[in-house]
Amino acid sequence: MAITESDVRHVALLARLALTDEQVTTLTAELGAVLGHIDELQRLDLAGVEPTAHPLSMTDRTRPDVVVPGLSRELALLNAPDTDGTAFLIPAFAGAGEES
Amino acid sequence: MAKDRLAEVLERYEAVIGLEIHTEITATNTKMFCGCPVAFGGEPNTRVCPVCLGLPGALPVPNQAAIEWTVLAGLATDCDIALWSQFHRKQYFYPDMPKDYQISQYDLPFCSGGLLEVEVDGDGVAQRVDLGGGVAAVGPEAVADDGGYRTTIGITRIHLEEDTGKMVHVGGSEGRIAGATHSLVDFNRAGTPLMELVSEPDIRTPEEARRFAQKLRSIWLALGVSDCSMEEGSMRVDGNVSIRRRGESELGTKSEVKNMNSFKSLHDALAYEIVRQADLLDAGDRVVQETRHWDAGAKRTSALRSKEEAHDYRYFPEPDMVPFSFDPEWIDSLAERLPELPDARRARYMTELSLRKHDAGLLSADFAQACFFEEAVAIAGAARAKPVANWMLGDLAALLNAEGIELPESRVSPAMLAELVGLVEDGMISGKQAKEVFGDMAASGDAPGAIVEARGMRQVSDTEAIESVVRGVLEANPVEVASYRAGKTGLIGFFVGAVMREMRGQGNPKVINEVLTRMLSG
Amino acid sequence: MSTIDLSALTAREVRRGIASGDFSAREVAESAYARIEALDGEVHAFLQLTPELAFAAADRVDRARAAGEELPPLAGVPAGIKDNMNLIGTRTTCASRILGNYESVYDCTAVSRLLEAGALPIGKCNMDEFAFGSSTENSAYGPTRNPWDLERVPGGSSGGSAACVAAGMASISLGSDTGGSIRQPGALTGTVGLKPTYGRVSRYGVVAFGSSLDQIGPFGKTVDDVALALEAISGADVMDATSSVEPVDPYSEALGRGAQGLRVGIVSDMLAMEGCGEEIRRVVNSSAETFAALGAEVGEVELPSAQHGLAAYYIIGPAEASSNLARFDGIRYGRRVPDADDVLDLYMRSRAEGFGPETIRRIMLGTYALSAGYYDAYYGQAQKARTRIIQDFRAAFERFDVLLTPSTPEVAFRFGEKSDPYTMYLNDYYTIPVNLAGNCAVSVPSGLCTTAGMPMGLQIIGDYFAESTLLRAAAAFEEATHFEPVPPLVRALTGTEGGE
Repeated sequence: MAITESDVRHVALLARLALTDEQVTTLTAELGAVLGHIDELQRLDLAGVEPTAHPLSMTDRTRPDVVVPGLSRELALLNAPDTDGTAFLIPAFAGAGEES
Repeated sequence: MAKDRLAEVLERYEAVIGLEIHTEITATNTKMFCGCPVAFGGEPNTRVCPVCLGLPGALPVPNQAAIEWTVLAGLATDCDIALWSQFHRKQYFYPDMPKDYQISQYDLPFCSGGLLEVEVDGDGVAQRVDLGGGVAAVGPEAVADDGGYRTTIGITRIHLEEDTGKMVHVGGSEGRIAGATHSLVDFNRAGTPLMELVSEPDIRTPEEARRFAQKLRSIWLALGVSDCSMEEGSMRVDGNVSIRRRGESELGTKSEVKNMNSFKSLHDALAYEIVRQADLLDAGDRVVQETRHWDAGAKRTSALRSKEEAHDYRYFPEPDMVPFSFDPEWIDSLAERLPELPDARRARYMTELSLRKHDAGLLSADFAQACFFEEAVAIAGAARAKPVANWMLGDLAALLNAEGIELPESRVSPAMLAELVGLVEDGMISGKQAKEVFGDMAASGDAPGAIVEARGMRQVSDTEAIESVVRGVLEANPVEVASYRAGKTGLIGFFVGAVMREMRGQGNPKVINEVLTRMLSG
Repeated sequence: MSTIDLSALTAREVRRGIASGDFSAREVAESAYARIEALDGEVHAFLQLTPELAFAAADRVDRARAAGEELPPLAGVPAGIKDNMNLIGTRTTCASRILGNYESVYDCTAVSRLLEAGALPIGKCNMDEFAFGSSTENSAYGPTRNPWDLERVPGGSSGGSAACVAAGMASISLGSDTGGSIRQPGALTGTVGLKPTYGRVSRYGVVAFGSSLDQIGPFGKTVDDVALALEAISGADVMDATSSVEPVDPYSEALGRGAQGLRVGIVSDMLAMEGCGEEIRRVVNSSAETFAALGAEVGEVELPSAQHGLAAYYIIGPAEASSNLARFDGIRYGRRVPDADDVLDLYMRSRAEGFGPETIRRIMLGTYALSAGYYDAYYGQAQKARTRIIQDFRAAFERFDVLLTPSTPEVAFRFGEKSDPYTMYLNDYYTIPVNLAGNCAVSVPSGLCTTAGMPMGLQIIGDYFAESTLLRAAAAFEEATHFEPVPPLVRALTGTEGGE
């Protein structure tokens, strides 16, 4: 499963990273090399082994439905690159994709 | 689009419809994964914290109450509750989604395999051309005595996730994205618990889709899990539609329809989409798999253009949380918390309160209305359930409709309506007077008894008092008395009118009739 | 003003000195800053100094003492905080350009607990960007240099946290460990570095790398100091659904009970790793002899699946990281290109320009591993390999109380020496399997290598939530070896011979 430049460009779009052509070339080689080392996993016979998503066998951790004080709007917007004083301001929308 | 056009298309094509219904859980105090309060509206970014803003290092902790509500919703729709479940991350970038992934559920949702029985009656029945006008029963459908039919719609799953924030697009027209120069993002709504219900593609007509959504809403309201406001977006319905030629088993290419903000929109958008797809196929074109936006004003759907690549959500188990291992006994204890659901309530109204099926159905479907009704009946007495129902579905409904308000906002209380019904049933006022009193109490909020007193309209039902008036009227009209006794019994109306006039309209017509009949024949 | 040599005092001694009136907490803080003034120009352990916070905390300690109050366990102990932990009044940059001006608006639970225990927050420590790396060369603000040899790396990603303790700029520090980021720099700087059991310490407020792998843990000069710090920061947290409700033991009280009767297992197959230095391998064997001499039962054990740890880790870690780092999108905080055409352009360029090369590599790798068509082959397979590794560790802990491996295959390397990403990744060969399994482990200094004169570290691995046993073994080893390393840089400054 050698990774190609086209794969790298596709993944970069998924990850929202504007890569230069040079970066694409470098990353294709680097990721290919790392994936080559990782390839040993493909050769392991792990049929019937349960996957582990979490190291500990804890379950059912929830919190009670109780209101906890949040942030003031001033703090919420403190690190915002741009605001109108009440909300986060972002540029026009073309091409951000459609969802929700 | 003409109704006939849909009927014509449905003659040749069968529609296959599945719904995805998002419902905000508004019954919890706090958001899904943080302690910020759940509420609608408010000053932007005033109900936020590090967790729901997705600040670096903040972690989500699931709200126990939201999980319980979802399990209750599953129990109310005959779902299996998973003994092992977990959250996953659904990944895509969007400015109203703080973490750029949504915590949702993937292959291990809390609820799956449910079903909902839907009844269709009235005009909508005709959309099922395969039922032959309500004569032939096909598949699970059963024709009911009133010409309607019942059908069972499968529920694939109900899972729990978090809602996004909201964006306001500035500089364009009507707040739309198109033409906007910039947008403002408010995260007050971000993290509100959101149930997503996915139906099986068992729905065959726009009417069934509407009934399904209405039925589901009535169940959610009975549970109290959400306020289910389609206008405010706390209940949002999307539809997947495809069509195939009658007799074919292979599914057609589907389109997804969004932005259906009312039950009418849901029906009309699906109807539009079915006809649109049929037109394409009839012209030898193909249906393209895409998402389409319903424009209720223009009454059409249009494709959402997006230059983004096809979605690749890269779901993986949410590592910030551990799985859920529900104890069957805990699930049973939740089942005991289930309130009476609309179907059971309707049956009870029919058997215990002798309501007609239609009235019972209307009253039980709307939870607020059912509560009002039961409170009024509790005061008025079960024997008077019918007039209470008639008032609610008649004058009260008309009033709410005219004023454009909801039942809880009305000045009329269950106690007031019960009192009014009592005054009529006890013969204190006439039906005509009652209508006046109703109008008065709806406007002023005064009790009907007080209104009757104040306006001096208490009806006279006292037999002796009426006898003395009747005696006077008979004495004053000997010719008419003689004619009546000679067989012209139609003159009874003349006597009633004369007595009423003497009594300034406050005589009980029923008693007057009785007394007149008796004294004229004597 | 008396200057206190923090290299010569443990955290416990600092507290005791303040409690007995030998010096004030303010003098301790002044000494820490004096040492930083003298050495941090070269070492670059800190990205930000926080004297206002530190002196305010010191004054609280001094007032409490003046009032005759009982001092908390870390009263007046200067502490460095890795710059991926939020603390109000500081920037939290994760050594990344994308968060260059990011100001914390809430506190990390572990940091709060450390400060509630009386510690003085001296400053925020340098690190590899977003904790991706083993050398701090990936910091956007320049690397940290190893106090033992300024030409060499201090390890990473918690390199600044390790170096500040090694150089006596702080008594203790907090780091985070996802694949070895505490233990490896601990080994390379001659400090004690502990990765607690997954769930032992709340992760709330530490900027996530691999959520199922990350743990915050302490650095110290001694096992006792690390035990004190662990006690302060451990315990369940309502803000972290993966924090454990297991009771917190009085870890420092478990020390001093020696190693008599402990069952100690050398992980023989891992020790045989090709890239492991001969002297490092020898030191592990001699450490085992030390344990045997202390009355421990020493044996050998194999962890056959652990050799696949690196491969599994370089799927699972980047996969989780790619998701965790999505939020750095220029919308709500962080760097945003000023001239974006639209939102997509804003995302693409703000992220590409804000992240460094290794961060981009990890995000790309993780996104690829989770993408359609590859999930089962990579992420799914890695999760199964993880199960096998956990089974290996469980089996080993049926037979042994603690396991021994080197902390790293080699001592600190020179800057730029490992330009190939995978060669760098190999540095975490011994530490990574422990994160995958979730166990606790500590790196304890085990001597200086004869060729380079650089510190080596012994990794001791413990069972789940068996930090008491782990630290007891580490303390016994520490006591038996009598090795208290002080870097030449510090010796030159203080004119002491260090150590004994």
